[in-house]
Amino acid sequence: MVLLQRPHILLLLIDTHQFLQCWIAFGSANEEGQQQEEFSEELLVKPLPDHKLLAHFHFQSSAPPSTSNGCHHHLFPKAISQLVQKFRVKEMELSFTQGRWNYESWGGFDPISSSNAKPPGVELWAVFDVPQHHIDASWKNLTHTLSGLFCASINFLESTATYSTPEWSFPPASGNVRYGTFPCEAVCTENLTPWLRLLPCRDKAGIALLLDRPSLYRGFYHSQRLHLTSTESSSEGIDSGIILEQTLTVVLQPNSERAIEVHASEKHVQPSWSLSSIFGKQVSGRCVLAKSSSVYLLLDRGLVAELKFPNKENGKSAANGLTSENFWSNPSFELSVNPDRIFLEESSSHSKSLSILYMFQVEKYSESEPFDIGLMWKVPVAWLCQQTPLHASRFLMGSGNERGAIAISLKSTQFTEGFMSANSKDGSCELRVDVFQVVPWYVKVYFHSLRVFVDQQPRAVSDFIEKIHVSPSKDKMSPGVMEVVLKLPCRVNTAALTIEFDKGFLRIDEYPPDANQGFDIPSAIISFPNFHASMVFLEDDSLNRSPLLSKFQDKCPVMSYTEVLLVPLTTPDFSMPYNVSTIKCTVFALYFGSLLNVLQRRVAEEERFLKAKAAKKTGRLPLLLSKLSAKLRGSGINQD
Amino acid sequence: METFINPKSLFHLLLLPCLLLYSSIAYNSSPVEAAMHTNNWAVLVCTSRFWFNYRHMANTLSLYRTVKRLGIPDERIILMLADDMACNTRNKYPAQVFNNENHRLNLYGDNVEVDYRGYEVTVENFLRVLTGRHETAVPRSKRLLSDEGSHILLYMTGHGGDEFLKFQDSEELQSHDLADAVKQMKEKHRFKELLIMVDTCQAATLFNQLQSPGVLAIGSSMKGENSYSHHLDSDVGVSVVDRFTYYTLAFFERLNIYDNASLSSLFSSYNPSLLMSTAYYRKDLYKRRLEEVPVTNFFGSVMETIHTDAAYKALSRRNSGRFEDEMSLDQSVHHIKRRMLIKVNDGDEIHDINPEGEEGASKCPWSTFRKKFQKAENVDSLLNYGLVAMIPLLVISTWLVQ
Repeated sequence: MVLLQRPHILLLLIDTHQFLQCWIAFGSANEEGQQQEEFSEELLVKPLPDHKLLAHFHFQSSAPPSTSNGCHHHLFPKAISQLVQKFRVKEMELSFTQGRWNYESWGGFDPISSSNAKPPGVELWAVFDVPQHHIDASWKNLTHTLSGLFCASINFLESTATYSTPEWSFPPASGNVRYGTFPCEAVCTENLTPWLRLLPCRDKAGIALLLDRPSLYRGFYHSQRLHLTSTESSSEGIDSGIILEQTLTVVLQPNSERAIEVHASEKHVQPSWSLSSIFGKQVSGRCVLAKSSSVYLLLDRGLVAELKFPNKENGKSAANGLTSENFWSNPSFELSVNPDRIFLEESSSHSKSLSILYMFQVEKYSESEPFDIGLMWKVPVAWLCQQTPLHASRFLMGSGNERGAIAISLKSTQFTEGFMSANSKDGSCELRVDVFQVVPWYVKVYFHSLRVFVDQQPRAVSDFIEKIHVSPSKDKMSPGVMEVVLKLPCRVNTAALTIEFDKGFLRIDEYPPDANQGFDIPSAIISFPNFHASMVFLEDDSLNRSPLLSKFQDKCPVMSYTEVLLVPLTTPDFSMPYNVSTIKCTVFALYFGSLLNVLQRRVAEEERFLKAKAAKKTGRLPLLLSKLSAKLRGSGINQD
Repeated sequence: METFINPKSLFHLLLLPCLLLYSSIAYNSSPVEAAMHTNNWAVLVCTSRFWFNYRHMANTLSLYRTVKRLGIPDERIILMLADDMACNTRNKYPAQVFNNENHRLNLYGDNVEVDYRGYEVTVENFLRVLTGRHETAVPRSKRLLSDEGSHILLYMTGHGGDEFLKFQDSEELQSHDLADAVKQMKEKHRFKELLIMVDTCQAATLFNQLQSPGVLAIGSSMKGENSYSHHLDSDVGVSVVDRFTYYTLAFFERLNIYDNASLSSLFSSYNPSLLMSTAYYRKDLYKRRLEEVPVTNFFGSVMETIHTDAAYKALSRRNSGRFEDEMSLDQSVHHIKRRMLIKVNDGDEIHDINPEGEEGASKCPWSTFRKKFQKAENVDSLLNYGLVAMIPLLVISTWLVQ
């Protein structure tokens, strides 16, 4: 019976499989109203200046509006669509990060760093489409659901003391947004596995096959992010359903054997790498459910300029010609696989040189011929990544356990110099900087003590702060929020904001088990709304189909996160209450016990009482016995 | 003779069997007794924070792997880990946890589901999981959704002492708390059988206050004894497993889901000289003989298979059983009084009355009383018997006073 059934099932599987493939292939050709669920997987690899490698996985699933096909999903994860429907989430972003993005050497001006560099721990923000008074309840339920879904303690964000309501500085500016971070959350395999389960092929096929846990977590930085936008409940005409974007950004150290062998003179040669050497795995074909499956290799603007590639003038002709001599076997490096396409960036306003993107189609490869790109450097090369207009860092000032100050310092980078020289014709050039800072309630910030230093000179606050919004913290109720818009002159070298605080006291049961470690102040968000980190690659019809590249085209403001601060609070001696109460009780017992004993004791009377008691006791039992015997005897006589 | 049996004492004598019958019925009508084994759950708790307690997390994860291998699915395992060791910065092997220095087995594979971790592992949350008293927003994956037919394995490891277990170095779970939680679980019909396995110093003292029936407890050491770690991994830099868990795993590694090794063979496999402590097990609350109970009863998910000729046979058999019960009641004239008593009870509970017990009670109340007394585990029933036992004393004393 089983033997008979098997081939049928197989046939059925193959049939549905083929049907699915056809259906996905022609999905885009259908009418607008008949949209299908789509999934695409992409990986972008980018060499970094400090001999490291950035791998950026991008998975995107989209579901058409639920009115068209009810609650049934073929590719889209059901857990997410249920979550969207239940809590009326309009937009949400959840990220789990371990490590700190190094803005100085890994760059801060490209789309990857400004939207995928995240603060350590968990960051969650969500926009709800519910009436104002229901938002907090929705947020609370959402945090619990997500904590169950992703095996994390996101539910700590449910208490009002941990999340805030940004008014206008936070990018998806709207009154319905809630923002919370939990910096000390550990991120590990158990968070990644449920995240991968949302993919139609999980980590069993396609590009996700590369995600080998030990090599991922060996990296310097990893950030897994989940972003969803839903337009289901919007009143606007556009109805695009739910778009779920899952990205994983990892910075790894390629350690090829050749790198160890090199001589001291060749120390500056970038290490050569291949996908199999950094992940220990290869891609054996695409995920069959994916609409597109491709791997990109991105060469940075700075790197391209360094390699003396054809720039703006003759770039287009070179891309059209696709001469192999120029691109993938050039004097400085060698690629192990021929790229399927080469994209050249369109001119950007902020930079002279343009980046180059090599594209590899995974579809062509199979189990027998796995895909594995490698890059071998021939000559040493050094370059710089494009940085944020101002480099932001944050630190603590002051000493002792009573008070201190938080300082946010902004330093000009090589980018601002270039920008300044470009805009120097008109004298009144201004640089707008938005600062968003959340402080937990036990760090009691005095907002009146805000001071601004420009070029190391104390300046009047009103000269540079254009707009400020402050909501003071309430004890055990809500955190303090500060949103500032700074207008700095373009020629500024350094700028600093300082604000003083007092350290509060917690109740003994509010201290975490490792209170001596200190308490985290979440990262501040520094954004530059006048600068947009976008990368527009040359117009091509295939570009519209790649979600990663269309994501790069979006004009998102340049954003960076500062470091998490660790504030040591005065921790009580946790065993003190026990010690105090035991010692006190002992002393009291000894004192009062002996005193009362001396005062109340009357020896003679006590002895008399005891004697009387003894006499009574001996008298009772014989009485009872005699009564019993009398009764028995009496009844016996009667019976006889 | 006539004078000896006066009407007053006659009344007392009549009252006695009535009370006896009532108490025996009350004892029998507990619905838990008849529940079938329906599913298996595991609650695995590592209560220690900080890197040097790596071994406690490795203990818990080893047990997690074992119960998963023996068939308990992830959604029926509540895993509580008080700290993150796998991605700890001190861990030389990121995303990997080992319980042996040969590093052959990565306990932290690709499919670990940790339900409570870090600061969430508190005594409060632990007791909430056991008793099922959660906030409404708490997701299903964080709840112990067991029922009256569940077999639950509760494994705890950490640092403990005389009648307590430390949670995260800041809180304590006392033996009274544990006993109260278990009692509450019993009353809420949240388990049929519960095996509590504890690997701490003086583990046996944690079971002192337990009194709920169906609970079996095993601890790594007696009062006044320490539990020791097994060996140190010089690559990881800390001890990686505790002795008691190590030998438990050694026992289980030989088994698969089809094995019939009994609990007594597990308990006798502990060698005090290897453990450097005396494994203690408390079985006075557990009715079944340990030789007959396979270890998969708790550590796996192996259900008893009932062969039926037709679909839904089990249900119909149960119904017919109830019918027979009612028939046997009708046949006996002695049972009229009792039936009235039953009517007072909830209608649902009628079918749970054991017909043999009924007949025994009608024949000789005293023998049933004795039998029940031997079996009595329940404090309530013990109280009933105590009250009954008071009656003859009362009779004698009143007779004496006259």
